[in-house]
Amino acid sequence: MSLVSGPGRGGMTDARLPRELRLFVDKHVSYIQSLDTRKDELEYWLTEHLRMNGLYWGLTALHLLGHPDALPRNEMLDFVLSCMHESGGFGAAPGHDAHMLYTVSSVQILATLDAFDDLEERVKGGRQKIGHYIASLQNPATGTFAGDEWGETDTRFLYCALNALSLLGLLGLIDVDKAVEYIQSCQNFDGGYGNRPEAESHSGQIFTCLAALSIAGRLDVVESDRLGAWLSERQLKNGGLNGRPEKKEDVCYSWWVASSLAMIGKLHWIDGDRLASFILNCQDPDGGGIADRPGDMVDVFHTFFGLAGLSLLKYPGMVEIDPVYCMPLAITKRILEKPDVNS
Amino acid sequence: MTQYSEDEAWTDVEPLPQDDGGAHPLAAIAYTDEYNEAMSYLRAIMAKNEMSERALDLTEHIISMNPAHYTVWLYRAKALFAINASLHEEIAWLNPTALKHLKNYQIWHHRQTIVDKLDSAEGEIAFISRMFEADAKNYHVWSYRQWLVRRFDLWDKGELESTEEMLKTDIRNNSAWNHRWFVVFGRDDKVIEDQQILNREIDYVKAAIYMAPQNQSPWNYLRGLLRCAKLPASTMKDFALEFASLDKPDEVYSSHALDLLADVYVEEGNAKEQAAEALDLLAKKYDPIRANYWNYRKSLLDQPNVVA
Ligand SMILES: [Zn+2]
Repeated sequence: MSLVSGPGRGGMTDARLPRELRLFVDKHVSYIQSLDTRKDELEYWLTEHLRMNGLYWGLTALHLLGHPDALPRNEMLDFVLSCMHESGGFGAAPGHDAHMLYTVSSVQILATLDAFDDLEERVKGGRQKIGHYIASLQNPATGTFAGDEWGETDTRFLYCALNALSLLGLLGLIDVDKAVEYIQSCQNFDGGYGNRPEAESHSGQIFTCLAALSIAGRLDVVESDRLGAWLSERQLKNGGLNGRPEKKEDVCYSWWVASSLAMIGKLHWIDGDRLASFILNCQDPDGGGIADRPGDMVDVFHTFFGLAGLSLLKYPGMVEIDPVYCMPLAITKRILEKPDVNS
Repeated sequence: MTQYSEDEAWTDVEPLPQDDGGAHPLAAIAYTDEYNEAMSYLRAIMAKNEMSERALDLTEHIISMNPAHYTVWLYRAKALFAINASLHEEIAWLNPTALKHLKNYQIWHHRQTIVDKLDSAEGEIAFISRMFEADAKNYHVWSYRQWLVRRFDLWDKGELESTEEMLKTDIRNNSAWNHRWFVVFGRDDKVIEDQQILNREIDYVKAAIYMAPQNQSPWNYLRGLLRCAKLPASTMKDFALEFASLDKPDEVYSSHALDLLADVYVEEGNAKEQAAEALDLLAKKYDPIRANYWNYRKSLLDQPNVVA
């Protein structure tokens, strides 16, 4: 799935009569389907390092839109497995090094495609292999996770680890308590969380910290009133959300801020109708896709996070999303509630 | 532009084109061709794990076209260390590359790896200042700066002063506020107990609020100070009243002051009505988009012994 942006722009910036504010489901479906046909554009190749994430974004977006079969299952499976390394990690595309960010996307895609059995069939012991790769990236002293062998640490990677391992039923491979301690050390004076201890509070990082704590069953360590106040302060007068104080609104924060609020039971602290209108106004009504803000070029990243935000806000007709896993709720339920998941 | 297929230095390498499983005609656009050719040579030398000067040249070429390609950075770092290349030269090359690709973050981890190995922070703060001229809120650069301060013990080397300079330029720069907190309190847990420093910080934050009363960052900073130093909100009552007073509900200069006042009234115990009034003003007039939040705060007033 390519990350090429455009060709359309979001927002009804032309002079035509204002359209009725609604979700252009069919347009978005064909927009996502068209992405992989754009191999004659340089941007297609320049975004190869995000191909695996792109596939997860596109596939999940289609599920949320109620079109889960709009992409060919076998081709997706082939692609994902062609990115798997002997180590058990996945790269962004064939020939790219393994990294936590692509490994979690791969596991999420396999989970969404109900393909853990296919994985075992094609790669003997595949599930365990992936689990051990992820576990090997935990620093036993601090509890946090590196993204790859180079050791960059970020609460994003910690979340990725807990997300993937819990889907695989292999959380037992890591020290969850230490990971929770590390997240606590990332809490700032303003109640938010950053990518490392003392790094500026940032909505994206708050999402990763809360989701990791949810998976660990440790939301009790969160000061939810104070954090909820900070998060709800992210909504601007135009209805959109920003990621940090005094920054511009952006559709992708519709997900990170709103899902964080949802996890602590405070989603109603922001104005959902105005957020939904803001997202809908970022659609390209002709070519499909959603942009970061009205007037900008659409891309699959903002298309997905815009749709995820709408799903969280219970936009009519959409499939419900799980705020912790950022996947369709029915799918995470199917996997996590399987009685033999930890076998 | 390099044409690897016609370059003598590369005749021994058989390029490996990307096999993505399908039959797609590659583009005829020249730039795309240049990129894909370079990538096919990279795949070929990575396959034999070649560590060489020309590997560095090739990664430099690819990074100039696509700095987000993390595998290229990783390979470059390995090659740099393997052939003992000059790390000072690497930094000299990284500077313009970072300035050209402001949004890229792979470069900052690479830089950290190099500077750590170099074991010297010389010139780093100066370069960071140049980055901030282009984007004063770059998350990865601030993160790198924190690492630098800790790694090279730069706490007293002008950090507070340069952060103040940045806040002078933009008092709303939340990243700079966060860095100030880091510089003042990050070194030692005991600093918060130092009355002199605490007073200095309170004075500083008050002055910032006078300049822009609706600016979220200094209010968050002030709340952080009160909380960490275990000071009651009432110590700020007079200050908050300068920006908002229930007697003049149409002349509120800061919703944050009103918010703080609500807490002061809760603390005072016998002023529940005033607290409710302040929260009502926020819900109805000064911050209606978060009406549910303010109403929640109001609902807490009816619970015994709860401070919001
Ligand atoms: Zn965005």
